[in-house]
Amino acid sequence: MLDDKIKQEVSKILANMVKPVTLKLFTQGNECGYCKETHELLNELAAINDKLKLEAFDFETHEAEAKKYGVEELPTIVVMDEKDHGIRFTGIPAGYEFSSLLSAFLMVSTGVAKLTNDTKAFLDNLQKPVHLKVFVTPTCPYCPPAVMLAHAMAFHSDKVTAEMIELSEFPHLAVKYGVQGVPRTVINEKWFQEGAAPEDILVAKIKEAL
Amino acid sequence: MDFNLSFTANANPEELYDLIIIGGGPAGLTAGLYAARYKLKTLMIEKMAISGGQLTSTEWVENYPGFPEPVLGQKLAKDMETQAKMFGLEVINEEVTKVELTGNIKQVHTPYAVWKAKTILISTGSSPRKLNVPGEDNYKGNGVSYCATCDGPFYPDKTIAVIGGGNTAFEESVFLAKYAAKVTIIHRSDSYKADQILQERVKANPKIELLPFYQVTHIDFDNPEGRQIILKNTQDDTEKIMKVDGIFVFIGNDPNTKLFEGQLELEGGYLVTDRSHKTSVDGVWAAGDVQAKALRQVATAVGDGACAAHWINKYVEEWSE
Ligand SMILES: Cc1cc2nc3c(=O)[nH]c(=O)nc-3n(C[C@H](O)[C@H](O)[C@H](O)COP(=O)(O)OP(=O)(O)OC[C@H]3O[C@@H](n4cnc5c(N)ncnc54)[C@H](O)[C@@H]3O)c2cc1C
Repeated sequence: MLDDKIKQEVSKILANMVKPVTLKLFTQGNECGYCKETHELLNELAAINDKLKLEAFDFETHEAEAKKYGVEELPTIVVMDEKDHGIRFTGIPAGYEFSSLLSAFLMVSTGVAKLTNDTKAFLDNLQKPVHLKVFVTPTCPYCPPAVMLAHAMAFHSDKVTAEMIELSEFPHLAVKYGVQGVPRTVINEKWFQEGAAPEDILVAKIKEAL
Repeated sequence: MDFNLSFTANANPEELYDLIIIGGGPAGLTAGLYAARYKLKTLMIEKMAISGGQLTSTEWVENYPGFPEPVLGQKLAKDMETQAKMFGLEVINEEVTKVELTGNIKQVHTPYAVWKAKTILISTGSSPRKLNVPGEDNYKGNGVSYCATCDGPFYPDKTIAVIGGGNTAFEESVFLAKYAAKVTIIHRSDSYKADQILQERVKANPKIELLPFYQVTHIDFDNPEGRQIILKNTQDDTEKIMKVDGIFVFIGNDPNTKLFEGQLELEGGYLVTDRSHKTSVDGVWAAGDVQAKALRQVATAVGDGACAAHWINKYVEEWSE
């Protein structure tokens, strides 16, 4: 999947990893668009740096595990350490989303989430759960910041979970959530934020949603 | 399948940079390349996760010299960044929220740190202009778009209206026609600014239709009978209703200069510069679309960036605290 030049770049970036990171990948035989490619991609990444631990699960034979991680669409990647922080990638993180994937690895591995003190304070005082779905396409250059922000919030707060969804693989979700433009961040299934919004704007939207 | 990586440097806010470049489009990237080769300690601050600016939101670039086969905008952007980084340019992905430009040491604020430099290059480019009609804000991202490469794939076999009469409107219409069943280019007159070669290509495309002498007055996507836009004839004021699934707006750009209002001289919102690309304040330069100038293209942006870096280097050589 990755050519040598990209592998070199990846290897340089992953050299900054500190703690091991576990990737739980959920796939299914034939009925899934990019399961095979995603599996191959994660295999190649895990071969580049041994701090990346890949655990692959077949959705059908590992129903309990899939349920535990709330997996609904395939492929899904859970990026975690000994703890599940609620970070998900649904669909293949190719194109520009490849940067989002590597930054999730680094964030979990180094324990550093790039958020302002204001945002952290807001997240620390959250009373209710917040679920963020960030809809993207791989060719959208404006999408990774929205994904990275949502994932950073999930990493910082136990109350927040955040999922990147690669829309072209799941057209039914585009219909369900009325998405015709990306990125779009859906908050708790009902509220949404258009575009790659700065932290304070997303925080304001989350406040509105709660 | 493509894998596009772009990663942040471990920049240090304690450092006094020779040059901070605000904005990582073609102008900033070229200035960064030149500055790094002059061995200036240079930091580029780009608010998006990816460098390249507007280059990343177009498909093919056909008028940038050196590429007889058209080059993908996203590839050109990536290659420009790789080349500049190869010579030592540091890039971080944060949004500049405030600048303090007077004095010998300039300060640049982002939500995470305050950065200091001897000189500043502003290359914040421009952003798509909105129509400012009712319905536009409500349907942004859900029927109203400003980026064809981002949102075109959401319109397979659909009907699209494109608003505008310049290069971008024509070029992006050809791109959209790959997905859509029909694309109508709506423009307020019948004189188009698009290059002749693009006009010919549009006329030859059976999926694209021109509708001159109309402007959009209302994006009525709430209508129970289906999505429609209301158009007004610019000659006789008559109204026309058009059923569409989506609308793409390419009516020009507005400069990203809000940060500099009250600190630097502006002309129609654009930064005024002299022949060396210096702004009205010493130690502060501007390059690319953000400048008051006649032609806003990749080729002119890179020229501006190179030229500004030349004068910045001279200034830094003579700089003293
Ligand atoms: C759809 C489309 C098609 C086009 N096609 C062509 C073509 O075929 N040929 C051609 O020559 N030109 C084309 N252009 C025009 C060309 O892309 C621009 O002229 C060129 O990109 C200008 O470069 P720039 O570096 O000045 O600014 P931009 O490309 O606008 O880059 C500015 C950068 O600054 C960043 N920025 C802004 N504010 C801040 C801030 N506060 N903090 C940090 N970063 C900030 C932005 O995120 C952006 O990355 C096209 C433009 C569009 C939109």
